[in-house]
Amino acid sequence: MRTSWMSRLTSALFALPYTLCFAMFLLFPIGYGLYISLHDFELLSEEHPFVGLDNYIAIFSGGTYENSVFLRGLWATAQFVLFSVPLLIAVGLGLALLVNVLPGRIRGLFRTFYFMPYAISASVMAVIWLMMFDTNAGFINSMLMKLGIDTIPWLTDTPWAWVSLIATTLWWTIGFNMIIFINALNEVPEDYYEAASIDGATVWSKFAYITLPSIRPVMLFVMITSTIASFNVYAQPFLLTRGGPGDSTKVLLMNVLDQAFIRREIGSASAMAIIMALLIMIISVVQYRLTYGRKESGV
Amino acid sequence: MKGTRKLLLILLATVIAAIFLLPLVWMISTSFKNDFEALAGQMNFIPKKPTIENYMEGLSGELMNVPIVRWITNSLSVGVIGTAIVLLIDSMAAFALARLSDLPFKRTLFAMFVASLMIPGVLTFLPMYMEFNALGLINTYSALILPYTAGAFGVFLLYQFFISFPKEIEEAARIDGANKWQIYSRILLPASVSIMVTLGIFTFMGIYNDFVWPLYATTSPEMRTITAGIALMAQGSYTQAYGKLMAMTTIATLPVLIVFILGQRSFVRAITQAGVK
Repeated sequence: MRTSWMSRLTSALFALPYTLCFAMFLLFPIGYGLYISLHDFELLSEEHPFVGLDNYIAIFSGGTYENSVFLRGLWATAQFVLFSVPLLIAVGLGLALLVNVLPGRIRGLFRTFYFMPYAISASVMAVIWLMMFDTNAGFINSMLMKLGIDTIPWLTDTPWAWVSLIATTLWWTIGFNMIIFINALNEVPEDYYEAASIDGATVWSKFAYITLPSIRPVMLFVMITSTIASFNVYAQPFLLTRGGPGDSTKVLLMNVLDQAFIRREIGSASAMAIIMALLIMIISVVQYRLTYGRKESGV
Repeated sequence: MKGTRKLLLILLATVIAAIFLLPLVWMISTSFKNDFEALAGQMNFIPKKPTIENYMEGLSGELMNVPIVRWITNSLSVGVIGTAIVLLIDSMAAFALARLSDLPFKRTLFAMFVASLMIPGVLTFLPMYMEFNALGLINTYSALILPYTAGAFGVFLLYQFFISFPKEIEEAARIDGANKWQIYSRILLPASVSIMVTLGIFTFMGIYNDFVWPLYATTSPEMRTITAGIALMAQGSYTQAYGKLMAMTTIATLPVLIVFILGQRSFVRAITQAGVK
């Protein structure tokens, strides 16, 4: 049996390097985060006393500082999710439909144009849009002035701050959803449309009765990934509005990182991060269930 | 009738494309303007007094006293090394999971890797920082590389490809006396060049473009990546030095835009293959 033992060992060696990285930089942090969240973990202090669920209790009891930053951050994030996700789905699908009806020769070109901003890093995206939205010298307000319209404080007043954040998010990330939708649209069997055409179906009824039902799984995928991405929003409000005006666009992740790195309460911040992660996972499951129902999903 | 409709659609697509490209064109245009002209609130795409001063100062390190060249070098090195590690360890693990039937704990490992794809990054961010802090690795290249090696996306992508690889070729090689390493390195890898390129582009862009982790994982100016550096400058006192900022963002975007345009086909394939399982 020596060869078999040797063979198992060499097989394990192939999986070992990645498994080690996985254990050290994914599994361990999850456990460590849980541990930290159960302690009074002041970043600079030497001692970190065990406090049980106190950090969690503080987040859920009304009147505490933790409770107020968590809820205010959650409310800002929730608004961002509610505004952005429907648009991320609808505009993504709209662009995919548009690209797909273009003549074959220019299709790839337009796909590249719409997808290009996705290649840019968050900080570059933010700096470009800081300049575009600048109240005095920005491109957009210069254009409005030329058109004789009053300038708009894009980043410093509500609801404009939200409009700006959503617009930049769409510009930056919509290409990803578009690509997924294009792929899904191409997988819908051509015969379905041909059969419908023979029956005299209109463009709209083909879309409603063939396209939409056929791409339902992809729609769900896009909805879940967009919701997760929007729930994790950070770069746009952090760099563009800096959470303002006031704290109105200060999203949950900004508050979690402030709690960790500005107030240095890593224990409490970890508890917030864990609750936030649980919320994200619960929302994904709910979206899945709502789309497929309990029976069909088999979960 | 058909022709008019088609023309209108092309027109619509062109208008939308203009909206998408305008900020990028404006970025490049502004990078050739002096700060005075950049703040003038004009809409001219061709600078009135074109200048390459922003670039010259930037590349010589004089621009706003920040080591831009160093930042770019950091970003490129971290991106390339991180990508190389990911390609190597992910392909080895995917090979073991897909082709080596006697791998111990195979099902458990696979289930764990797949389950990890659903874990939001916020769960690991703070403890990862504390882990690197405890190891004394904050503000080192290790901190800028290692966290990206844990993602299961690559393992999963390559697994899907390896599992569909014909068994006959592998068996023929085995009969000829090839060992596992030879099968992996001489048969499987050469057959997976395109999927490896796909994963490579995806990984490189992910590492190069990330900014939140490098922002917190580095503390000294010379260790910043270009994305973290730009984020800090955009928050600092240089907010309105648009000409200079745009020269920096243009330099920062160039490498990744080249990778993106050259590898777009692969990139699209990675998204669609991973997305719709």
